[in-house]
Amino acid sequence: MLRYFVKRIVWLIPALLGVLFLAFFLIYLLPGDPASTMLGPRATPELIKALQARLGLDKPVWVSFGKYAWGIITRGDLGESVWSYQPVSSLLMQALPYTIILAVSSMIIAITIGIILGILASAHEGSVLDLIITGFSLIANSIPNFVAACLLLLFFVVFLKLFPVMGAGEKGNILSQLHHLILPSFSLAISWIGYIAYLLRSTMLEVFGSDYIATAKSFGIPMRYIAYKYTLKNAIKPVVAIIGLGLGNLFGGAVFVEVIFNRPGLGKTIVDAISARDIPVVQGGILLIAILYVLANLVADLSYAYFDPRIQYE
Amino acid sequence: MVDNKKRNKHLLQILNSFKKKMHRQLKNIVRIFSIILKDRKGILGVTIIGIILCCAIFSPWIAPCNPYELNIINRFAAPSLKHLLGTDNLGRDILSRIIYGARIAMIVSIGGVSIAVVVGVILGTIAGYNVGRVIDNGILWIVDVIRAFPQIILILVLVAVLGPSTLNMIMVLALTAMPRYTRVARAETLSIKEEEYIFAAKSLGAKNKRIILKHIIPNILPPIIILAGMDMAVMIMIEAGLSFLGLGVRPPTASWGIILRDGYRYIRLSPWMIIWSSIAIAMAMLGYSLFAESLRIALNPKESIEKQAGV
Repeated sequence: MLRYFVKRIVWLIPALLGVLFLAFFLIYLLPGDPASTMLGPRATPELIKALQARLGLDKPVWVSFGKYAWGIITRGDLGESVWSYQPVSSLLMQALPYTIILAVSSMIIAITIGIILGILASAHEGSVLDLIITGFSLIANSIPNFVAACLLLLFFVVFLKLFPVMGAGEKGNILSQLHHLILPSFSLAISWIGYIAYLLRSTMLEVFGSDYIATAKSFGIPMRYIAYKYTLKNAIKPVVAIIGLGLGNLFGGAVFVEVIFNRPGLGKTIVDAISARDIPVVQGGILLIAILYVLANLVADLSYAYFDPRIQYE
Repeated sequence: MVDNKKRNKHLLQILNSFKKKMHRQLKNIVRIFSIILKDRKGILGVTIIGIILCCAIFSPWIAPCNPYELNIINRFAAPSLKHLLGTDNLGRDILSRIIYGARIAMIVSIGGVSIAVVVGVILGTIAGYNVGRVIDNGILWIVDVIRAFPQIILILVLVAVLGPSTLNMIMVLALTAMPRYTRVARAETLSIKEEEYIFAAKSLGAKNKRIILKHIIPNILPPIIILAGMDMAVMIMIEAGLSFLGLGVRPPTASWGIILRDGYRYIRLSPWMIIWSSIAIAMAMLGYSLFAESLRIALNPKESIEKQAGV
């Protein structure tokens, strides 16, 4: 286990270097001269020169890459926003908590509802309830979060007027913040609810068919006890394993939900920076998301190995 | 000498049996489709995909109106006999736009998946076949770097930087989907290259290129095909998402994402754009996931594709 752990972490280093590389070269992918593209058609030559100097575009590529990488590794310095002159790292750190709260709360919703539905469906296999839950989870799994967000917005905000429209709620007012959190986290959670319910149902049924459950039945242990004590405990493993994976994916999916609900967060910061052509913020944003994503995947893999010792650590 | 001839004859026999195997694979495809069509979910999936494909190919003939024809006076109309699904913010017929939207969804997803499969499989087999350690590690490194980003974020940023257009979107989708195929192809190649028929081909003097193209790739296809089926759904989703954010196909082209975007902008004036485009997107994704699921069951019931792909 320890060897596997160390190996996974060492393997991360070249990948993260590559990520840094890609983020840095993003600016060179801009068509034409990056500085004048960012400033638009009405920029004066002096302005373009000044921006080039600020972004290090006037120096050789390798020198500025070295400077960029060194700044990140030693000081966590991601440069500064082209327009607001604020350090990118502080901009991102302001946004990060909102995204984490959103991702975690939607994961909690997805797990709770998904597990309940999965158990219900597998306990009543073949019944109408099972059919309804399976159908629901298949459809829910096919609803992308931006579609879910638009639909929830339409029904709960425009038709029923139950929820506030935009933003993340007043600062310091927890109730209002929670109120603003419900719809966004449900829109992110909905396809995961379907996924978890479907997954849990099939693994539960698989475990129900195994020999040791038959043995437990033959001993006369009550079904309710068997279901929770023996079956769920074994069937839940794949669900646990996807939590880390899900959290990582939710960081990506949060982009749409944050834009639609006009909620501050990493995704919205990146999309706003894209439309403002504020490349340093985009670079910093994708770096941060990549690091979070890689860490979440690492945790997922390790927990998978921990919960299922049969996996061979290659 | 005699011994040599004998050996060659033996090797040729093995190769011949391999050819028969290929023929059987063709028969297999027919068999697989018949299995899929026995499964209720499979039928549903194939039907939905069939409808969408028909819409995409025959859209000028199926669509009741011109999807670009403006009629400002009749904007935000509710569904009626003249406009079955209502009209949008510029008075365009939503049904026609949805039907034409299938075109973009299909072009982008089929284009993206095919490029990703071709490039991913070639890179994966080369890495797995062990042409050299440097090449293997280099390919793995590229794959790991791309996989370090959530797919949607990388696509968003790359499309935004390169400039939104349909072609750029297909390229970026293919690039970000490629790692999954590379990993599966590599893992499959690693296990297949120890097989007897590969050895036989090698001793008959076949070049690496020929072995990879003729003997390895045809045999690693089943898991790749399942992945491709699942990826179609993902690509349809991402195309709609990018167009929704204004980073995909350019308006006024009809795309489900753009219809949804218009619906979001005029959410207080008319619910119909959101409702119909949502149904279209969800149906398309449902169709492909059902299809991929029954394909998985038909191809290999016990194997979990996710573990191999490391999704």
